[in-house]
Amino acid sequence: MRCATPRWLALLALVLCAPASAEPYLALQTGYKCVACHLNPTGGGLRSAFGTVFSENVLPQFTLPAGAPVWGGRLLDRLALGADLRTSWERASTPNVGSQGDSGLRQLRVYADLALIAERLDVYLDESVAPGRARELEWYARLNDTHTGLYLKAGQFYLPFGWRLQDASAIVREISGIGMTVPDKGIEIGLERPAWSAQVDFTDGTVNAGGGSGHQVTGQLVWVQSRFRLGSAASFSHSAGGDRRVGGVFAGVRTGPVAWLGEVDLVRDEGFSEGERRLVAALAEADWAVHRGHNLKLTAEFFDPDRRIAQDQKTRWSLVYEWTPVPFVQLRSGIRRYRGIPQNDTDNRRVVFVELHAFL
Amino acid sequence: MLAACSGNGQGLDAGGRPLPSGGTVGGALTADFDSIQQHVFTPICTACHAGGGAPQGLRLDAVNSYALLVGVSSNEVSSLLRVKAGDPDNSYLIQKLEGHAPVGAQMPFGGPPLPAATIAVIRQWVSDGALRSPVAVASARFALTAAVPGMRDLVLEPPLRIVLEFSQELDVTRLDASSVHVARVSVDGSLQPVPVTLTIPAGDPRALVITPMSAFVAGRYRATTGGANATALAGIATGLAPAAGGGETVVCEFDVVAER
Repeated sequence: MRCATPRWLALLALVLCAPASAEPYLALQTGYKCVACHLNPTGGGLRSAFGTVFSENVLPQFTLPAGAPVWGGRLLDRLALGADLRTSWERASTPNVGSQGDSGLRQLRVYADLALIAERLDVYLDESVAPGRARELEWYARLNDTHTGLYLKAGQFYLPFGWRLQDASAIVREISGIGMTVPDKGIEIGLERPAWSAQVDFTDGTVNAGGGSGHQVTGQLVWVQSRFRLGSAASFSHSAGGDRRVGGVFAGVRTGPVAWLGEVDLVRDEGFSEGERRLVAALAEADWAVHRGHNLKLTAEFFDPDRRIAQDQKTRWSLVYEWTPVPFVQLRSGIRRYRGIPQNDTDNRRVVFVELHAFL
Repeated sequence: MLAACSGNGQGLDAGGRPLPSGGTVGGALTADFDSIQQHVFTPICTACHAGGGAPQGLRLDAVNSYALLVGVSSNEVSSLLRVKAGDPDNSYLIQKLEGHAPVGAQMPFGGPPLPAATIAVIRQWVSDGALRSPVAVASARFALTAAVPGMRDLVLEPPLRIVLEFSQELDVTRLDASSVHVARVSVDGSLQPVPVTLTIPAGDPRALVITPMSAFVAGRYRATTGGANATALAGIATGLAPAAGGGETVVCEFDVVAER
């Protein structure tokens, strides 16, 4: 069978759609930092030339035949382009509600990065094309100092906090309030050294998106080694709803074909009507590279929405199989089991899903 | 193993909060705000839309949801109201629930869409004028509907305030220092008065926020309303069962385990 050409894949990506943020387990399995494969130093979004080559030649089970045209991620010398599409079908079974099916396009995004001054000054755009009307998710200018590893980012972007998981509904991402669903406006000062990655962000606050007054300070420090990495992150946000402090530690290690990830986040939130609540969210994940292009993911998550209240905790189990048959196309299928207090039906649902993810 | 970490929910409502004293849950979803709050906003939406980190600043807990929904512009599409009374098609809440909003993902985020029947009830409430439980306001007698901390709650750290929610709006002109008393209950049963300030939030005229002038410490606390000198809150004592043997009504009593 003839393998797909880049042109065919590009068409597939534009027709089908899906978000293309690589999972952090790939970074653990390869020992690379996020910035090795993404133009954004904190990961996600448009891939670098190396990331594109990796996606073509290392990630999939089957690579393109020798001599096939190669997509390098660039149209012009200084203009990098990408796209990300995700479409899925899922069925949720909820006690006392029954089964509900849902399918459709979840996301279609296009990326662009223009190097105004080579290796010095870039402007970046991440545009959501569908569903809904087009809108900018990320847009910023990034000033780089390749000598020191320092960079300055200004504009609208996603904040760094913990593992940048593809699954935006992961409990640690929802509870930290920092993920790849709501960008923030402000500046980020970062440092990329061979074994370290650090960021400090001064922003309006994700909770203030759309006009609320307030601010947010976020910081993250990650120690990166070839077989493991260890990080910590903290955030303080002020808004009309109340002050919120989030602290987290996360770590990952590779043992043979399995990458292990863990994260614990603690939240102190003064925005509740009865006063302050302390919340805890935790994640443990194992990714087993069964075979080239195949990954089996098992995730266990825990959430305590109020440490003062007994017997209110929630958990979520996920078992997901990811198959990347050819470059830039991934199929994912899995089951998620939610467990919570019995009087809340939604917190005790089971979800089965199949997802097509295409990216450039 | 982790599954065993989920709570059994004993003594909690569907939102994971302690049941109010004498409170009940249940009943079918109906097209009034309290029912929608109880069956939809509290158990489903407040998983994210609560606290200082609520997306778009939209807090959908019982104290804040009505004031932040009805007649308030959407952050994502400022030309639309979150809930436009009488016009569900042009209410952003409905668009987000039905999945055809011009911006962002369908709600509830990361979960299955609400059943069509549930959305239909919310639509009906909006079509009916998005009133704040008109039937309850008109006919129900004045009563305490929720207290946080609640009766016999055991709280690990001192709460910053006590919040009481009533079935009808409070009359701010009747509010004075004698409306509610808070006291620390000694081991021998004697009461040590705790000075507090009383406020009615602008966005929720049915709530009474009781803030201690100095932080609560470890011990048992009791809040009471009524009494011989009370000027009453819209006739507050008439809707609440008085405590046995006294003219005052205990509205909440809780134990603080440790100091902040």
